[in-house]
Amino acid sequence: MTDGAAEARVDQGLVTRVLLGEDRRAFEQLVLRHQGMVRAQLRRLLHGDAAGADDLAQETFLLAWRKLDQFRGDARFSTWIYRIAYSCFLQAYRKQPRTADDASEGEAERLHAPPHAMDLELDFKRAMRRLSAAEQTVLLHCVQMGLSHEEAAYVLAMPLGTVKTHATRGKAKLKAWLAAWNEAARVEEAS
Amino acid sequence: MNQSQDDAIEELLRKQFDGPVLDEGFSRRLLQRLPQRRRRVTWPLWFGIATGAVACWLALLSSPLPRTAWRDWMSGEWSAPTIMLLLAALGMAMLALAWGVAEADDR
Repeated sequence: MTDGAAEARVDQGLVTRVLLGEDRRAFEQLVLRHQGMVRAQLRRLLHGDAAGADDLAQETFLLAWRKLDQFRGDARFSTWIYRIAYSCFLQAYRKQPRTADDASEGEAERLHAPPHAMDLELDFKRAMRRLSAAEQTVLLHCVQMGLSHEEAAYVLAMPLGTVKTHATRGKAKLKAWLAAWNEAARVEEAS
Repeated sequence: MNQSQDDAIEELLRKQFDGPVLDEGFSRRLLQRLPQRRRRVTWPLWFGIATGAVACWLALLSSPLPRTAWRDWMSGEWSAPTIMLLLAALGMAMLALAWGVAEADDR
């Protein structure tokens, strides 16, 4: 049995304990096991807003507590909770006015390397923010959080093909940026 | 675009992700706010079923239709009341099936 499958069985057992016996301690275990990744997911979606992410994470777990009887075990508990967190984020995001920080598809197409090769990771962070919101979200779930394409499609309520397209496009844009960055670094080193 | 570039991008992406956030009292604060779970109330369902059954029984009490249909059915005769009874049973079975499918979809 893989680690993931064993973890999923533990989660399933805890969910059953909560549903059968109003067991708050079992739910506490679920919160302790998953709060870290849920909060990390929300912080990333909110571009580092820790307080906002914690508010949404709290809302996520309260919703999970109320709707736990709807969890059937078709998906892993972690995937189910990420889906709730993402829908909480979307609801909060829709209430807020858009900021200039949100990169549009057009801007992302014009993604280019900085003229001078500076700190790679810092520049990479900036490059990430120039991707479209959908590409950032898909890469967050598929690469950074380690979900499969199928799981990401479930969490984001997107068709599987759309998830794969966003992942491929996002990576292609970052690859183009990385190639240009390497070129700029070589030029800088040569001069 | 080769595999090494692909790996480099994924590596950079993973480096950008800080990983799970430390608890730092989050779980304790959350559990303090946890309300009582609402138990699913089942009495309206049973009340509705009982009311429907009693209403059907009262409506058909004065009618000879069910008795005739039952008698014909037992004697193997395909009379109009028998067919009506079977159609009514089929209709209720279809409704129950549709309800079951809709419930399964919701989950």
